[in-house]
Amino acid sequence: MMFGQQLQLVLQLLQQTCIFLVIAWLLARTPLFRPLMQVTIRLPHKLTCYLVFSGFCILGTYLGLKVDDSIANIRAIGAVLGGLLGGPSVGLAVGFTGGLHRYSLGGPTDVACMISTVCEGLLGGLIHRALLARGRVDLLFQPMLAAGVALVAEMLQMLIILLLTRPYHVAFSVVDHVALPMLIANSIGAAMFMRLLLDRRALAEQYSTAFSAHALRIAARTEGVLRAGFNEANSMKVAQIIFEETGVGAVAITDREKLLAFIGTGADHHLPGTPITSQHTQEALRDNRVVYADGNEVAYTCSIHADCKLGSTLVIPLQDADDQVIGTIKLYEPKGRLFAKLNRTLGEGIAKLLSRQILTGRIEAQRALLAQAEIKLLHAQVNPHFLFNALNTLNAVIRLDPERARALVQHLSTFFRKNLKRPDEMATLADEIEHVNAYLQIELARFGERLQVDVQLDGIDTRQRLPAFSLQPLVENAIKHGTAQLLGIGRVRLFAEVDNGQLLVHVEDNAGLYEPARKSSDGMGMGLVDRRLKVSFGPEYGLRVSRIPDRFTRVTLAVPHQPALEGM
Amino acid sequence: MRILLVDDEPLARAELRSLLAEAGEHEIIGEAGNAIEAMQQINALRPEVVFLDIQMPRLSGLELVAMLDVERMPLIVFVTAFDEHAVQAFEEHAFDYLLKPVEPERLAKTLRRLHKQLQPPDYQLLTACQQLKQLPCHRHDRIVLLPLAEVEAVTAKLSGVYLLDQAGQAHFTELTLKTLEARTPLLRCHRQHLIHPERIAEIILLDNGAGEITTRGGQQVPVSRRYLKSLKDMLGV
Repeated sequence: MMFGQQLQLVLQLLQQTCIFLVIAWLLARTPLFRPLMQVTIRLPHKLTCYLVFSGFCILGTYLGLKVDDSIANIRAIGAVLGGLLGGPSVGLAVGFTGGLHRYSLGGPTDVACMISTVCEGLLGGLIHRALLARGRVDLLFQPMLAAGVALVAEMLQMLIILLLTRPYHVAFSVVDHVALPMLIANSIGAAMFMRLLLDRRALAEQYSTAFSAHALRIAARTEGVLRAGFNEANSMKVAQIIFEETGVGAVAITDREKLLAFIGTGADHHLPGTPITSQHTQEALRDNRVVYADGNEVAYTCSIHADCKLGSTLVIPLQDADDQVIGTIKLYEPKGRLFAKLNRTLGEGIAKLLSRQILTGRIEAQRALLAQAEIKLLHAQVNPHFLFNALNTLNAVIRLDPERARALVQHLSTFFRKNLKRPDEMATLADEIEHVNAYLQIELARFGERLQVDVQLDGIDTRQRLPAFSLQPLVENAIKHGTAQLLGIGRVRLFAEVDNGQLLVHVEDNAGLYEPARKSSDGMGMGLVDRRLKVSFGPEYGLRVSRIPDRFTRVTLAVPHQPALEGM
Repeated sequence: MRILLVDDEPLARAELRSLLAEAGEHEIIGEAGNAIEAMQQINALRPEVVFLDIQMPRLSGLELVAMLDVERMPLIVFVTAFDEHAVQAFEEHAFDYLLKPVEPERLAKTLRRLHKQLQPPDYQLLTACQQLKQLPCHRHDRIVLLPLAEVEAVTAKLSGVYLLDQAGQAHFTELTLKTLEARTPLLRCHRQHLIHPERIAEIILLDNGAGEITTRGGQQVPVSRRYLKSLKDMLGV
């Protein structure tokens, strides 16, 4: 065959290859190609791989050129790539399908072509397996490798035609005509096809990388903002961040009634604080669903201003626990700008993120309130039994010893004044001891000879700080659940020491009746004192209890020893 | 009216004493600083009226009422500083009570009612299902509360009622057999004896139809013919 004719055939076959590749390029934009971009062992992916490449295998035959009685084709691309990307089984299946199809078209080389197509698929598959075994999956997607395999596969095919086709001169003539064009076209085609897949994959990765980067940046920047409260100021901050990160035309945040924040195009007439007028927002609030008005299929017109430049909107509900709608976040694009799919997905993610933040904020606020209420309760809880007994005692003392009664009234008022101190304040040990002392004076009057008190704090720096209302509950417990339960004489001892950098204040009674399981209001009092000390100073501080039943109970309050505080 | 004052706070007793003195002619025959002393004095002095504080060490005023013999029950005026539940119960049963600090007018009203009242109401309504878990008694020279589980048997002698502990020691108690039978799981086995059913080791049946219990602590407690059957029924033998 003349060289000129050969060259023409090469060019023609390359043209066909171009058509083949255009079809591949178009299909590559569909989800059908997604499984082809990675090596996978999942059956549905393998099946897709088989179907796609069988299709291309058959297409390669149809796009071939009739030469003599044979066909110069680019069938090998489908078979080789099917094997390379899908493995031996897929390669074999593709080769078989493509080969069978070729066989059905007849001609002197039909059997040889069928067998060689199966071999091509198998060759691709074997290389797939070999590379996988060596851990070189990355090589599979190399266009040069695809070209090389296609080249070898085509050479193999020529060999098989020469071996199997009879009479031999026909075989030789066919090979003579088609060998060069097919070797060139198939190698280049396989490489280009692989390149196309690689590009597709890179694009998809770029897309998701950009998405993740945006999402992470928004998450990081908005972290904690709405937790501090779902209001105009915080919503404005969040809207600003989203506006900057997404690059949409405008961002709005609403609660159930009104606009909380608006940033971007149209900010002149979308004013925070104004009631919601948009029907899309009302729909989203009412039905608890994402509303998308693209300005084409679903009309969008600004409900506030006729000359508003915004042309499309995406409204996403913000949800509380139990999926209750508490507001919306809205993204806008101006007229003439398309809503990026990226921003639509991102918008829904942002809404989830913000909802979570608002919820967390509410839970935290509730927890703080609860803790505060608990302390208030403790603090308001002047044991009524103590109060009325104290008044009763006072009644008796007034009669017996008016001068002493006046002193008792002073103690009682000191006690109540200290009780009214805000419990979240820090106090000095001296303050606490004053509180305890006022309390003890009243109890001493009540119990008379039945109670003996020994306070021993020599050498202790009473400027030491500790949470207000820490010491008195311990002394009250020692009397109420300790000495008051004794038939004989009760003794309460209050003493302190510095040990290992800790100031230890001991409150000891001689009853030994302490029961850890006691969960009455007093138990809560002790537990609360302990928690507050731990919160203030750390887990190694707080209350410790030691006891020998019927002998003594000693509650020890441990705080960091901080002598000689400046400015005190 | 012969009155006993019971309160663990001396000044509270002093105050009540003064108020009663102002209110008119009453004889305060004694004071007690806890429920155990109170029981001794009630048994010894037989007051007509007891002013009884509720919150007291170890045994509360209400627990004391549960330990008193119904037949020798004095009139009781409960006194409390603050005890919502008890006050609710007093209101329900129309029992007399005073709140501390005591108002003289209210005390006068109470005294007028006491003068008219002859028969003590059924205070057991307050304590109907209350079981005694610790029994006040004398051990050596002290008053102690003996846990019920340590009691093997109870014996009434001429000199009084004695609790027999597991070591065979006898402790004098102010409680009557009747109260103990009603308020504890102890079972009557003889006119003069109670037995703790969980401390019975064996019952020997005698020829005359009576029996004898050996306790786990090795003590002998007689069973009379009259109570043998009911005891056997109770034990399910």
